[in-house]
Parts: sequence; structure tokens; C-alpha cells
Amino acid sequence: MFQFILKRILYGFLVLAGVVTVVFLLFNVLPGDPARQLMGQRADEESIRIIQKDLGLDQPLSKQFVMYINDLAPISVHDKDPDHYLYLDAEKYDYSELFSYGASSVVVYKAPYLRRSYQTKRKVSEIIKDYMLETAVLALASIIIAALLGVLFGVISALRKDTWIDRALLFISILGMSVPSFFSAILISYFFGYVITDITGLNMTGTLFEFDNLGDNELLRLDNLILPALTLGVRPISAIMQLTRSSMLDVMSQDYIRTARAKGLKFKTVVIKHALKNALNPVVTAISGMFASLLAGALFVESIFGWKGIGWVLFDALTKFDMPIIMGGVLLTATIFVFINILVDITYGILDPRVRVK
Amino acid sequence: MSNRTLLEIKNLVTEFHTEAGRVKAVNDVSITLNKGETIGIVGESGSGKSVTSLSVMRLIPNPPGKITGGEILFHSKNGVIDLVQSTKKEMRNYRGNEIAMIFQEPMTSLNPVYSCGDQVAEAIMLHQKINKREAKNLTIKLFEQVELPRPGAIYDSYPHQISGGQKQRVMIAMAMSCNPSILIADEPTTALDVTVQKTILELMLKLQQEQDMGIMFITHDLGVIAELADKVVVMYKGKIVEQGNVMDIFTNPQHPYTKGLLACRPPLNRRLQWLPTVSDFMTIDDNGVMHETNKSVAEVTNSLVVTPAETAKKHETLYQQEPILEIKNLKTHFPINSGLFGKAKEFVKAVDGVSFEVYPGETLGLVGESGCGKTTLGRTILKLIEPTKGEIIFEGKDLTDLSSKEMRAYRKEMQIIFQDPYSSLNPRITIGEAIMEPMRVHKVFNNDDERKARVMELLKRVSLLEEHFYRYPHEFSGGQRQRICIARSLALNPKFIICDESVSALDVSVQAQVLNLLNELKEEFKFTYIFISHDLSVVKFMSDRMIVMQEGKVVELGLADEIYANPETAYTKELIDAIPKGEINDIRASIAKKKDNLELA
Repeated sequence: MFQFILKRILYGFLVLAGVVTVVFLLFNVLPGDPARQLMGQRADEESIRIIQKDLGLDQPLSKQFVMYINDLAPISVHDKDPDHYLYLDAEKYDYSELFSYGASSVVVYKAPYLRRSYQTKRKVSEIIKDYMLETAVLALASIIIAALLGVLFGVISALRKDTWIDRALLFISILGMSVPSFFSAILISYFFGYVITDITGLNMTGTLFEFDNLGDNELLRLDNLILPALTLGVRPISAIMQLTRSSMLDVMSQDYIRTARAKGLKFKTVVIKHALKNALNPVVTAISGMFASLLAGALFVESIFGWKGIGWVLFDALTKFDMPIIMGGVLLTATIFVFINILVDITYGILDPRVRVK
Repeated sequence: MSNRTLLEIKNLVTEFHTEAGRVKAVNDVSITLNKGETIGIVGESGSGKSVTSLSVMRLIPNPPGKITGGEILFHSKNGVIDLVQSTKKEMRNYRGNEIAMIFQEPMTSLNPVYSCGDQVAEAIMLHQKINKREAKNLTIKLFEQVELPRPGAIYDSYPHQISGGQKQRVMIAMAMSCNPSILIADEPTTALDVTVQKTILELMLKLQQEQDMGIMFITHDLGVIAELADKVVVMYKGKIVEQGNVMDIFTNPQHPYTKGLLACRPPLNRRLQWLPTVSDFMTIDDNGVMHETNKSVAEVTNSLVVTPAETAKKHETLYQQEPILEIKNLKTHFPINSGLFGKAKEFVKAVDGVSFEVYPGETLGLVGESGCGKTTLGRTILKLIEPTKGEIIFEGKDLTDLSSKEMRAYRKEMQIIFQDPYSSLNPRITIGEAIMEPMRVHKVFNNDDERKARVMELLKRVSLLEEHFYRYPHEFSGGQRQRICIARSLALNPKFIICDESVSALDVSVQAQVLNLLNELKEEFKFTYIFISHDLSVVKFMSDRMIVMQEGKVVELGLADEIYANPETAYTKELIDAIPKGEINDIRASIAKKKDNLELA
């Protein structure tokens, strides 16, 4: 098992290395001078030059790439010489020194440095840290809603195959799949947050933490979570329902279900204990993929509901061409996907002894 | 009716709703089962034998199926109950407790995500209301009783970790766990090797005598139950056509269908030109009326016997030729335990140093238990699996040297017919297209019209109809699908065909027809066959010479009749002994033995 996980993590690193390279190359072929964007149109030549040096833009592409990798790596090589392109800048890195060698070279252990936003000059890693919680809470809430309801509806639909319940659930799920999230976000926000707001008591927009009217205390507003979580859940519920349905139909026709019934077990036990555990494998894969993309931030939904998460930040950065944030967002997404995939492989092993490694 | 009566099925009718309307899968069936008695229910697929047993369990999938008439009277400890009228809750109480069932496919009948022990203990806890620890002890005791090796370890094993025979033993343990008074066994040994089948049958007999159970044993093969059953019920198209005690059925069958079933099993003691089939005893005209031919089993078989002298003469000319295929020291090893960087550490030696020749026009049989490497050998010869070492010389050319591109030219000459006709046809491609595809790939004929004409010919040749060209695989029965697969391999006019367990998934009656077809085609097109099967009786019937394989190695090679008559190794002897022969003397002996045991008790 340990070797299996180690293998998966190694593969994960390979994937990330690939992503980093592609992201780096893509953003370097895009037009636009980052220094100009950072300083605005009226900056003087001297400050432009300083910025370019700081970002390593005066270096050849290969050195820029080394810089970029070095910035991202948790263990990296630097130089204490301020003119060196791998200068160990306390402004950039939050590091602890491991050992030094040669004249001025050091190896340090540090948090990955994702550069600074062109807009706010804040470190991208700090921005992500600040906004990640909101996105994570939202993603978790919607995936839990989606998984519970999706599996429940899927099982009901499969057991009542070809009845009106099955057809109704299928119809609704197709509807849910086909409505784009920005549209359902507007609909849900308008209806629940405006039309019947007296009944629901919910707002059209809002975020997880809000200041009270005096602006003194930060309040946790879980009620603001309901509408965006529901909106984000619409598609996953539909997809999970359909997957569970077809998977259950398949499993219910298996010989071992007949064996379980021939034992005299209650139908409920047969369904929950014997069928569902087998039927969940494809569903787990689907849920993990959805969860990972939700964690990467839901651009439209967060923007429409004013939910201050990663999606909201990314939406903002995209409209303003704030490269470091966008690159950071892409890397974050890739990391989340890789990580969740490792988790899924381990979950598989728990659900299905056949994939367990001897 | 005596006080030993256990189960009375009276005029049972079970119907299925299909697109073609309502079909009576079981039509007016009446069977009585006594304590300590085994009834064999025999018939081909679709005869309603499984539906009868599932009706007793009330496990007919509904919809589309439903019991619409008759009664199933179960004589339980608390009086006579009609199972047809029982509520779902009452039924749950009988299932697994009073009436237990073993299914055909041990591979798929156990839930893959729970350990074997848990699945048996579950039934025990359910019906005997005891705690988990006691249930575990009981389960391990049961595992000992069904002669599973290392019962403690098997308790914690998952189904995929144990063999097919062991799985079936777990199923039997599960069925026996609550001391049922009735055991229904639905083709419990069909998917197993003959040697395993023999031990499973012995085990069932032993358990029955210990517990005075009534067994309903469902099978398509009369031979299997010859030594086990007291009574035999023959079913055909949902109806009982004949029933009686086992001796009468075997010595004096009345119904032509029963005669057909008895005659179509490949005989071991002599060589036949072809196998008699049900159609030798009865024909059904266009109006569905049956006509008997009024021949006895002996008459039909005796007319087909080939004398040893004739066989010897044939072999003389056969083995004077140059071999068409020479296999020299062939090895196929599969890596199993790969390290961190994918480098193999251990190997399964599926084929381990095999050498033999095949002569033009010969049928070479390849027999052995599952896992002996016979299928791997067949596929390696066609280079569907890359050999690890050795030479495959086909018409003087070593195939192991060829690149996959060069190999393609030879693919035309060598074809394979697979075991499972259900999964070896693509469900979304019409039969005609499936047969035409290899011709297109190898550019046989100039255009599709000519190819289509050829497909029509082939369809007729394998006794299918031209109109089947446009149909899809799911519309055909197992036997018909295997005919389609045969037609597909004929499409390229090959010289050499490997039949890999090509009849193992078929009923004996259908098996006989397909075997006959293969032999006719061989005569007509001068094919050379390698015929692979786990069933020694089939291999013996088909082949001139045969190879017995064990653990990737050849243990015996020689003329089929000679190996059967004088097996040299213990392994071959074991294979021969395990074949259910269905001979009168054996039945007589087993009846006598049962009587002795009863008197002793």
C-alpha cells in the first residue's frame, strides 16, 4: 500500500511538472509586457528596468524557466549575491536556510513563491490563502448536497425503473444538466433571494464572513452559503443521479444480488449493503472530478453571488490580465486535481478489494 | 403422498411478458420431491428448468415474469404451506433457511466487495439470530465440512482471491449454513473443470446423506446427474416431456427428446463418424408439430461407429505428410510482480517449453484443467500473445521472426474460434458486417457485393439463413452465435483453425450440432484444427492425436484413443476418471451404494 501511494505521488509530481512547463511557455508567448502592466502606462524607463530585472525579464527564456521552477520548488537553490538571477530575496521568500555551499550559494526550504499580483502587489500565495477557505467551504457544501441527493435519487430511480417517478427524476436531471450555471445562478439568486426573500430570508448576494453594520465584528454568515451551494450542486446532482441510476441497474442484475436475495435478506439490506457498495465506484470517480473543479473556484457562480472565493479572484484577474494570479490559479487547479486523484485511488482500494494491492 | 414428502409442485405456470406477447416459460409442471431424494431436472437452455427452480424460491424477476397458476406446497415443520401464496416476509424467512440455492456461475455469484466468510456468516446471523463471533466459528466449521483448504484464511479472502471450485464450495457452505430441508442446485458444476465437478458432486451427495435433504439438481447434461439423481425430470419448451427414476430414463427412454439428450454426449469407448443429435430422433415441421423417427439410441449410435481399422488407415496417410505447423520449445511468461519502476521480478510460466507438430488435415486435441496454459498456448501460436522464447514454424516459416506487419499476411491462413460466443461478437455490428470485416481487411474479393455474396454462402453453410445478414448478435441463441463465429473464421479461407473451448459454453445438445458442423467443414475445406477444451470426452471425440497439458508443460502426447485407453500419467488418469460417463453399470453401482448407506443409517 505504501509503495502504491508513493508511486501515485511520484506520478503526481510528473503531471505537475508538465503543467508548470506548459503554463510557463503559454504565458511567455502571450503578448504584453508584464513590467508595463505592473507600472502602468506612465512609468519611467528606470523603474521599468528595475521591475524587469526583478521579474527576470532581462534574462533569456531558459534562465527565466529555471527561476520559475526554483520559485515554485519547496526546496530550492539561491544565491546571496543581489545581482545573481537566483538572488535570495527576503521580500519574495519566506524561507529557512538548510545549508550553504560555495561562495554565496544556499539551499533553502520555503513556501512556493507564486510572484505578486500586478494589481495589488500582494503575493499570489497569500491571495490564494485568503480566498481558499470560502471556495473550499462552498465546494464542500455543494458536493455534499450533490452526493447525498444524487445517490438517493439515483437509487430511487433505478429501483423504480420505468415508473413515473423514474421518468420524472430523469427529466429533471436532464434539465439540470442542460442549464448553464451562470443562468441557473441568476434564476436562483433572483427567485430565492429577491422574489420570495420574505419567506426564505436569504440575500441575493453575500459572502461567508461579513462585517456587522457598525463594521466592528466579522460575522459568520452560513445562510449566504445556501443559494450558491445549491446552484453549484444542480449539475453534479443530475450527473451523479444518472450515473448512480445506470450503475445500480447494472449491479442489481448481477448474480450476487440474486445470491443475496436467496439468503433471505431484506430488500433494503440487499440494496444498501450488497448493491450500493458495488455501484458506487464510478460515482466516486465522478464526484471527485466535480469536487476538484469546484475547489478550483466557480467563476460565474462566485461572481454572481458575490461570494469572495478563488473563482471571484480569478474572474477579476482574468478581466484585468493579472498574469501571476491566473498562473497561480492554474497551478492550484492542477495540484488539487492531482491530489484528489490520489485520494480517489485510495478510496477505490477501500471500496473494492479487487483493486487493493497485495 | 407419504410423510417424507418435502415439496409438491402442482401444475405450475410461470409467464413472462416479452415483446412477442406472453410466453409460458413454465407450463403445467408438476414435480414431487421427497426427503433424502435427488431429482435431476434436465433440459436445454430455455426449457424452463431454471425458471421452475426460481419459482420455488419466488425469485422470478418481476416484471417481466410472474407465477400465474398452480401451487408449490412446501411441507415444513409447521405444516403445509403454499409458497405461491406466501407473503414477501414469509418468503424471506424460508429463503436461505428452509430452501437454499446454489447457482451456476460461482465466479459472479459471490459479492466481490465482501469477504467469503462475511457473506456466509451474514446468512447465519440472519436466520439463527446469533452474534458475529459465533457465526464466524460456525462458518469456519462449515468451510471444513465442504473441504475447503485453510478455512480460517478463506474466511477473510475475497472471492477474486480463490479459485472457481473453491468459490462453489463457499456457495455450498452458504446454502448449507442453516440446514435447509431443500437444496436447489442450478447447474452448480457447469462452469467448473471436470475434476472439480467430480469433487463437488461427491460433496453434495455426502452432505445430502448427512442431513436428509431433498435436492433439485438442474442441468443440461444428463451424464452429470446419472450417479447422483434418484429421479429424472426431462423438460422441453416449458413442459415436462418425461419423468421417471434414473435407471428407467437411462435404459429405456420414451420421449425422442430424452433419447436425443442421451445420444448426443460424445461416447468414450468408441469412435463415431458424427454425434447423434435430437434431430435424429424427432423433427418439428413448420406448424410446430413434432414427428418421431422411432429409432432407439442404440440403433442410431451403432450405425455411426468407425472401426479402429478405419481410423488406423486414415492416420497412416495423415502422418506421412510434412507437418504444417511445428512448435519448438515455446515459452510464454507473464510478469506478475513489478517493482517501483515497472521492472518485472516474478513470472507466471503459462507456457513453459512446449514442442509438437501438427499435420495437414489433422485435428490435434489440447486438454487440461483451467489454468494449465492451453488457452495461452493457442493464442501464442497465433501471436495474439508474444512468445517469450521458442519457434512457431508455419509452412516452413518461423512466425516469431515476423514483424506485426508481415504477420498480417499469415493471419489470413490461421483463424481462431473463441469460447464465449456471447462476448466475442460486437453487439452493435450486424452479423453480415461482422463476417465481412475480415475479408475487407485482407482485401479478399474486389468489392463488397462479391464479399456479400460470399457471406450469404457462408451463412447457409453453417445452417443460418440469408436474412440473418442484417440482424444483430442479441437476436441469436448461443449455438447460433457460435455458428456465426465459425462463419466469420471461414470467411478468409484459412488452412488452420484453433478452436479455443469453442463449445464449452453450449448445452450438450447444441454442442453436438456444433461439433458435427466443425467436422463437416473440416472434410469439405480440408482444414487443420487445434481443438482446445477442458472436457476430455469432447477432445477425444474430435481429435486424431491429443496433448494433455499441466502447468504449462506437455505431460502426454499421442493418439487420442490410445491415451484414453492407456493413460500413462496419474494426471491423465484423473482427468479421465472425472468425466461423468452416465453408464448403466455406474448408475447401478451408485444406487446400490445409496441403498447400503440408507440401511446403515
